Amino acid sequence: MSWMRLTGYADKFGVHPGDTIKFYINCDGPKQYDARIVKMIHGDTNPRGPGLIERAVRSPVTGTYKGRKQVIHSGSYGFVEDKPQFHLKSFTLQCWVWPTAPKTHPKYWKHGAQGLVTKWHNNKGYGLFINEDGCAELRINGKKITTGAPLRDHAWHFLAASYDAKTGKATLYHEPQIIYALDPEVKPVSAKLAAPRHDSSPVVIAGYTGQHSNAATARSSLPSGILISGMYNGKIDSPRVCNRALSRAEIETMKLGAQRGMTERRNAGPTGALSETIVAAWDFSDGIDTAVGRDHGPYLFDAQIVGCPTRAMTGHNFSGNNFDWKHAPEEYGAIHFHDDDVDDARWEVDFEWTVPKGFESDSYCVKLTSKEGDEDYIPFFVVPRVGEEQAKIAVMIPTISYMAYANEHLANNAGGAELLVYRVPIMQQQNMFLSEHREYGGSIYDTHTDGSGLCLSSRLRPILSVRPKYDHFLMQSPWQYPADLHLIYWLDKLGYKYDIITDEDTNYDGLARLENYNVVITGSHPEHNSGPQLDALHDYTQQGGRLMYMGADGFYWVHSYHPAYEHLGRGVITEMRRCESGIRTWRADPGEYYHQSTGELGGMWRYRGRYLHSVAGTGMSSEGFDISSYYSRTEESNDPRISWAFKGIKYDEKIGNFGLVGGGAAGTELDIVDTMLGSPPHTLVGATSAGRHTEAYLLVMEDFGFNQQGLDGTQHPRVRSDIAYHETPNGGGCFAFSSIAFCGSLPWNNGDPKKNNISRLVKNVLDRFAKDGPLPAAPNSSFKHRGRADYDPPMNKKRK
Amino acid sequence: MIEEHRACIDSMKGVAGCTILRCKTPGDTTEVSGGIHEDFELNRVLLRMRAQPAGNKLVVICTKVEKEWRIGRLSGIRGVPPKFVGRKVYDNEQDPQHDIFLMRLDEFPESDGYPEHFRQGWKRRDDMWATT
Repeated sequence: MSWMRLTGYADKFGVHPGDTIKFYINCDGPKQYDARIVKMIHGDTNPRGPGLIERAVRSPVTGTYKGRKQVIHSGSYGFVEDKPQFHLKSFTLQCWVWPTAPKTHPKYWKHGAQGLVTKWHNNKGYGLFINEDGCAELRINGKKITTGAPLRDHAWHFLAASYDAKTGKATLYHEPQIIYALDPEVKPVSAKLAAPRHDSSPVVIAGYTGQHSNAATARSSLPSGILISGMYNGKIDSPRVCNRALSRAEIETMKLGAQRGMTERRNAGPTGALSETIVAAWDFSDGIDTAVGRDHGPYLFDAQIVGCPTRAMTGHNFSGNNFDWKHAPEEYGAIHFHDDDVDDARWEVDFEWTVPKGFESDSYCVKLTSKEGDEDYIPFFVVPRVGEEQAKIAVMIPTISYMAYANEHLANNAGGAELLVYRVPIMQQQNMFLSEHREYGGSIYDTHTDGSGLCLSSRLRPILSVRPKYDHFLMQSPWQYPADLHLIYWLDKLGYKYDIITDEDTNYDGLARLENYNVVITGSHPEHNSGPQLDALHDYTQQGGRLMYMGADGFYWVHSYHPAYEHLGRGVITEMRRCESGIRTWRADPGEYYHQSTGELGGMWRYRGRYLHSVAGTGMSSEGFDISSYYSRTEESNDPRISWAFKGIKYDEKIGNFGLVGGGAAGTELDIVDTMLGSPPHTLVGATSAGRHTEAYLLVMEDFGFNQQGLDGTQHPRVRSDIAYHETPNGGGCFAFSSIAFCGSLPWNNGDPKKNNISRLVKNVLDRFAKDGPLPAAPNSSFKHRGRADYDPPMNKKRK
Repeated sequence: MIEEHRACIDSMKGVAGCTILRCKTPGDTTEVSGGIHEDFELNRVLLRMRAQPAGNKLVVICTKVEKEWRIGRLSGIRGVPPKFVGRKVYDNEQDPQHDIFLMRLDEFPESDGYPEHFRQGWKRRDDMWATT
């Protein structure tokens, strides 16, 4: 069975009227396909909701296109184009390695030898490898020598190989950094070999030249037309190439690398005579935030680093005293390469669309179909330029979060995911396709194919999880993009005029992107955020802006956009590290908490003193993915500061005991008010789902210090969702709905506020927030001094 | 135990998501009871089944959106996709949950996970979520 023969992506998530958006299509099978632009209103196919809603848009894109296959050449490596200085007869190669998958399963997707430092192709040239059996190997032309000793995974080893063309003697050294008591000794091995012959292949770090190809699909490889094979999984530190066979003592000195311009007063390294042998001496601690592996040798053979591997990684000499690469760069000379890294699919453009000036801001897709029944959608948004806003309401689409979840593989990779969702996961066609096509890369929730954490995600590739008609295994329902369409449907159905902006826009344009709107509405799960974006939201709400936080587990993880990809557009690659705490599908290693892109500390905003509760009033306390529940009004909901929101909803009414995500409005991930964690002390809780959750819901780990019984939804008081409101200065305010499932209740009964009290509640809030001018002032009696710790939640009042 | 599981699954039909609890009104999660909240043995058996490593683990595959579902097995190897098991095609997403429960009851030895089976990695969920 063939899954998804049509896939594609656009060069941007958001396009301004007057600008051009490009589309890149892979059509693997059908001779041709049709494309057209649709307005994408609702993407949930659940028969209990309104179903898929798309509207035709007239555009010159509409047409039939010739199908062609385009492929992603995934995997990261460095390369230097062929240079005469690399056409060596005698040589020495050396580097430190920390392999993560030195030996792979025979059915593993890229099983075979892995290249470390190579100028080798088709039995020509030389190179240092890890062979199929996981042992160090030197190749000269078609000959191979190996120590026969498998490299221990997740451990540092020093490898070197020398070759003297005069004597024909080749020697291979493998020296583990740590030797355990019962480890056999690994002796150097030598053999007589003929001198290397050369072709025009590049020097490759973490791979080798597999093929020079004229095929159309090879054009998207880098260098174009050269397919790199033998992708290495693991760290490489301090690779060197020298132009003669060095002695072991000289090799030892060469570990120090090039020390150019040495005088009696500066630098200490190889002697002048030894330095003359250096062809290249790369130092990956230089340029950590770039896509360049700097060569400190005489020829400046900087390597282009392809695939955006993980940098700011601890090297073989990490001392454990400094944890920030900016303060001890010399201990961060390693790059961790992965065979499934993707920075840019680099496909060729199939068609583009110049959005007419003044075109309506909204949610759109390119819809691709074939006569044979193939189908795919490529979502994008038309975003008005700053100053050319079309509405008073803005929906801020959480594109960083879409990138964080992009092409997520958990149902397939993680057997333990079933414990999280409390049922057997259901895989969709997108998951099936991705399970076979690892080259599409994973999400920041996944581990790489070598098991290490995935902390960088590109949007320049087909992102199959950002699709209409896609149910996510977490809830058997839409998640992120298709879930946010629940909100788009509701706004459209109730006739609101709204603009769409994205995380990128807010990150790059700051307050200017927000300040002309009366209200900004988030998506259902704005979990991943950059600092500039949070700054802009803060400025906005402090200056009288109104924020409607439509979901939960928002403002949780620190993200940064990688500056090395800015030339390709805004926010091409986002980075996030999973540090000490928080919900983590993987955990960063010691010393690897700081971002390579900006040098800032990664992890949770909470541990950077920016509590999630401080952004919109509530913060995540629990998660569970079996079923959802509903809300009840609290006594506080009668306070005139918030009672207007509940107009038309009876005090004892069940609020949101229906929905397209888990069957209720309170579900999946839940936020609560906690004034000790940043909720303003004057926050009001209007409704809560306290006491209504199942055993599958568990308290988040950052909220407790040691494991203990009683953390689940049937027992723990913090497993709940609080619908909360607080005023901000200058007539602003924040309304937090505090559940990811919440938006899934909006389309129920076609969003009719008379038949759907979630719709009624949101309408009440939006109508008030969208009005011009400041919000009505709070009663004088509500101005009083409030402590943080003496805040008294409504549930405690009830128990008194 | 099997009857309770069946009853829970039947009551969850129509809910996007499900759990092994009984909806008082079918397809409506407003009031739920029974299942894992009341049957301790069922609860523990399900947790044991769910905690198995990915290799050869049963999974549900949607073959036509909102129309058809089948049962498959994960390979546990990166890049090797799941394979279908049997030919049965389901017309709803909940029924395969019960059939997988029955299949696992048949496949698991009654003594699965006893202390005498200790080995390194005993009960370790080989879930490929990196341990550091």
